[in-house]
Amino acid sequence: MSDLRRPADLTCDEVRELAGAFVLGALREEDAAAVRAHLDTCPDAHAEILALAEMLPVLAASVPPVEPSAGLRDRLIAAAAADLEARAAPAPAPTVPSSSMGAVTPKAESIEGGRSRRPWSVPAWALRVAAVVAIVVLGGWNLLLQGQLGDAQAYERQVANVLAVAAKQGSLTVVMTPGSAPATGLAAIDAGGGMTLAMRDLAKPSGTAVYEAWMIAPKAAPVPLGEMSIAGDGSAYLQVGGVPATPGLVVALTREPGPGATTPTLPIVSSGTATASS
Amino acid sequence: MSEPTRPLPLRVTTAGDDADRAVLARISNGELNALDELYERYKTMAYSIAYRITDDASLAEDVVQDAYLGVWRNAARYIEGRGSVKTWLLSIVHHRAIDAIRRRRPTTELPERDDVPPATLTLPDVWGEVAANLDAETVRTALSALTDVQREAIELAYFGGLTQVEIAEQTSTPLGTVKSRMRLGLLAMRRALTGEAEPSIGAGESDRP
Repeated sequence: MSDLRRPADLTCDEVRELAGAFVLGALREEDAAAVRAHLDTCPDAHAEILALAEMLPVLAASVPPVEPSAGLRDRLIAAAAADLEARAAPAPAPTVPSSSMGAVTPKAESIEGGRSRRPWSVPAWALRVAAVVAIVVLGGWNLLLQGQLGDAQAYERQVANVLAVAAKQGSLTVVMTPGSAPATGLAAIDAGGGMTLAMRDLAKPSGTAVYEAWMIAPKAAPVPLGEMSIAGDGSAYLQVGGVPATPGLVVALTREPGPGATTPTLPIVSSGTATASS
Repeated sequence: MSEPTRPLPLRVTTAGDDADRAVLARISNGELNALDELYERYKTMAYSIAYRITDDASLAEDVVQDAYLGVWRNAARYIEGRGSVKTWLLSIVHHRAIDAIRRRRPTTELPERDDVPPATLTLPDVWGEVAANLDAETVRTALSALTDVQREAIELAYFGGLTQVEIAEQTSTPLGTVKSRMRLGLLAMRRALTGEAEPSIGAGESDRP
């Protein structure tokens, strides 16, 4: 029950009394709605509401600054690219109701998008390709900014190979996000077990150290896939077979003291999870 | 305190706002680079708020990603008059973070708030460039104007996601007193920042219901 007797009929004094709780979001929705209803119709502008709300940034500024992980940006961009692809996608498969393709509805609530609701339905291939496109576009863009056009082209060529695999029916993609190092990359595993992996921003290993790629199936020991040799621009490329196209498979990169490692040396430099397709 | 604190430029449109709007326009055209730009600009602030509320790095990242995706999807419908892009974004971050921790508390009786815009979104701009202009000293000054019980009530609400009824229960305090603490606390912060007495807003109140 509400802590107000008649939430739909607040007086100006009651609204003033609730102003602090209202701006802090401490009212239950029915009471907050009553305040909003009052503000919508009241001839008094209730300047106190705004005056109090202006303190919210001060509260927020009192929070100690913390940096998100570098992987967050990659996940966001990949998700946005997938969303973009979904909006532009042609008519969906017959099993998908056409109404679900409305990318955005004009409802005010959807200003926030939604974690649980997906107002569209996308063929899995579109998601895969979109994620790849995001990495190509942004990877190329960032490198261009650094004046490394030649290197960018090399990386793009590698990614183009990954893209070719990702586009095949039954393929999985793996977005490699940074672990102990800021390295990122992309892999695709085709239905026949062929995997292509392109990485960038890898630091040149010192001495005999090498980068080793691993596949880690659920409840199984890591299996070495091969060494990745680093090009001058920090990119690396690997093409191997025998990788099961199983969603949930983890692909990881470690730095090993020398070639031929049989168990990975922590920490993991970069890793990603194979994402299911249709 | 020495000199009276100079009034805050509480609602100024700055070059930052204009730049944000330009970026938003590009976002509404589906430019991933623009989203990347907006992300870089506010990632620390957005994540810090989400982390302070959730106390969970992975949940906080989910919250920030969701908030940015909301901006990405709805940039075209964003109404300029509503306030700065930063207000919009950070309000969504706050709202989603609170939602996330409320879901984590199974005992909390709360409606599904996903369909309700946060209160701050229904108001004119409250963020503007304020947060960016606030130095640590100004923030300390404002917070030091709070009594311990006012600070407790405000933090339980803003960072803890508790309703006033829940705060009253948790602190064994009458509901009317909780309301007053939140309201008078915010007023005290404002007075500390502006040096205004603002009798029209704060007159005739005590810490009693």
